[in-house]
Amino acid sequence: MAIQTKANSKSHIPQNSIFFEKIVPIALITMGAITLGLMLFAAGVLLGIVHF
Amino acid sequence: MTINQVLPFISTAIMLWFTVDVFQRYFVRRNPAFLFWGIGLAMFGAGSFAEAYLSLAWNKWMFFVWYLFGAALNAAWLGHGTLYLLARKKWRHVVTVVLVLGSLFAGNLMLQAMPKLDEAVFTTAKPISEQYGTKALDAGETAPSGALTINTTYRGEEVTAVRGLLPLGTSVRLTTPFFNIYGLLTLVGGAIYSAYLFWRKRVMPNRVIANVLIAAGALAIGSASTLTRLGYGEYLYLGELISAILMFVGFRMAAKPQPDEVVIPNSIPASAD
Repeated sequence: MAIQTKANSKSHIPQNSIFFEKIVPIALITMGAITLGLMLFAAGVLLGIVHF
Repeated sequence: MTINQVLPFISTAIMLWFTVDVFQRYFVRRNPAFLFWGIGLAMFGAGSFAEAYLSLAWNKWMFFVWYLFGAALNAAWLGHGTLYLLARKKWRHVVTVVLVLGSLFAGNLMLQAMPKLDEAVFTTAKPISEQYGTKALDAGETAPSGALTINTTYRGEEVTAVRGLLPLGTSVRLTTPFFNIYGLLTLVGGAIYSAYLFWRKRVMPNRVIANVLIAAGALAIGSASTLTRLGYGEYLYLGELISAILMFVGFRMAAKPQPDEVVIPNSIPASAD
């Protein structure tokens, strides 16, 4: 069995929440940038561009 | 015992709990995403246990487990579980075949490397993450004090290298970036994408937070592994512990029903990645 949301779910992100309006988007963008950086680093190691 | 000897045992215990929890969900729901997550978590736990063991004593098969499952494969298998929630069916099957064959290939390369291990350099005084690789020194670069060095030929050049357990140019080390890039892209990218979808639709705040925690947990181990590659291996065990806690909490939050959710048999979860 699995979980499925009702079409008219009441589980909504609260209005005017600083956490969801500011912190979550900043966290997602930051983590995306770090992920990209780590992937480029790994690709650099693979291609011999980055020496360590 | 030092803190670096205790941390891997704590991570192992958390990962064991986490693995059992995910496999239980797989046996109830039969969703392949949970199967791949469970396999990835089992690999993570096995790697943590091997790391803990190697902080106390040497065993070459524990090193095999640590490198293959802990350093090379676990992120890719974890991420593959997320791919099952997000990608189209035909792509899932193709990538599954590539992942399984690639993992077998890496395992075979690791087996071939086993007789060549430089076991004389092993010490329990340093984390395994700081002594597994042989590092060629650049011109003018000096070896750290107390490090064992070797003069050898590498890529047609005479080089001085700081000795590690795996010799210079060991093929299995070339496979790890492929697995880790795939793992980062699917595990972190998938969690960020899921969080963004829920956030954009303004629904399921618990799953927004859960996916942020999963992404942060995966990034914690990814960043710690990168620091290890750069010579700062002392942060790896802390990174693993943080990763285990964040991903476990995130997974439990994502899988927890909301008060206004209904349970429908044989349906696909909105997201439990």
